[in-house]
Amino acid sequence: MTEITGQTHTACEECDLLIAVPAIQEGERAECPRCGHTLTQRPRQGLERALSFAIAGCVFFAISLAFPFLTLANGGIENVMTLPEASIAIWREQDPGLAIIVFVCILALPIALLAAIIALVTPLILERPVPWLPQVGKLMFKLNDWAFVEVFVVGTIVSLVKIAKLATVILGWSFWAYVAFAICLTAAISGLDRLQVWGAIEASKA
Amino acid sequence: MSYPENTAAAQGLALCHTCGHLDPAEIHHCSRCGGALHLRKADSLQRALALLITAVILYIPANVLPIMNTQQLGKGEPSTILGGVVLLIKLDSYPIAAVIFIASIMVPVSKLFALFYLIWNGYRQEPASAMQCTKIYRLTELVGKWSMVDVFVVAILVALIHLTGLLVILPGPAALAFAGVVVSTMLAANAFDTRLIWDRIKENND
Repeated sequence: MTEITGQTHTACEECDLLIAVPAIQEGERAECPRCGHTLTQRPRQGLERALSFAIAGCVFFAISLAFPFLTLANGGIENVMTLPEASIAIWREQDPGLAIIVFVCILALPIALLAAIIALVTPLILERPVPWLPQVGKLMFKLNDWAFVEVFVVGTIVSLVKIAKLATVILGWSFWAYVAFAICLTAAISGLDRLQVWGAIEASKA
Repeated sequence: MSYPENTAAAQGLALCHTCGHLDPAEIHHCSRCGGALHLRKADSLQRALALLITAVILYIPANVLPIMNTQQLGKGEPSTILGGVVLLIKLDSYPIAAVIFIASIMVPVSKLFALFYLIWNGYRQEPASAMQCTKIYRLTELVGKWSMVDVFVVAILVALIHLTGLLVILPGPAALAFAGVVVSTMLAANAFDTRLIWDRIKENND
């Protein structure tokens, strides 16, 4: 048996089975033979996909902040709500804890995630070594667990139905931009595999 | 403690939590990204159990206290999570009632039970099928975020409804408690190490 090192072998994250590093082509996926956990995959042009969707996502995010999110019409009165107000209104009602959670889950963290993707992937594509790449990589994969964008989209739809009996609610530009932002974020992340990205980070140092 | 023969841990090798690089555990810090190395997540079961108990405790005010308070013409009408579902059924909004029931009641409750089951199996000398436990774990991770829907609904309703003083919606204390349940169960799932269950299985009983 040859010597087992981090270069030749890997282990399954979920069951710790020791496995020789699988050689996979673009578009292929390797899974653990024992528990079926995805060990690694190489999405076609994953880095390029991640970068383009991340940039598009930033544009949609900016649009979603600038326009009405929902408009409530009742008789002659129109009440316009913007996206940040989902958090600001709660702050005004003396519930800062909840306001911060909402702000972080739907705005701060998702845009930080997109920024981290761009900061990570751009130097990798340009093959330009930058010293802070490992830090950004760590941050990116941590933030990934805590973005609630798609959940917020469903929350918006549920709220609409709840108010539908009281008043007419119109979905604003901002809402559609946020939906596009959620799609871009998901698409960008799907281009990034943990093992592949860290392999690329290591290769860029050499 | 001895590990099953076919695992990385049996060779003294640990997978980096951060970048997934395999390194000898005795060097303590990953040779690629500098992240901490542990053969198994440190104090996995104790930490998961502590976070789970936190979630159970928070789950009580989350259901007993009002999640929002609707004030109309000076009269306040607090509503709980379950009350919201009942109201939606009365309004014949069955699909939305189902979404809220699944996201706010079914998912969190089954998540609490699933995590207890997993931790209990982590402590047992001869746990149930490791494959079955791993599948339950993957499901808990997948649905984890979706319980946040109800919190976002409150945020949107509070921001949107300012009908010239006729109707005001205020966030209730249950909203923050419920957000706490979601976050602490997500942290508990994160702390849980599925490899502990694979460690206990006999070779012949995969």
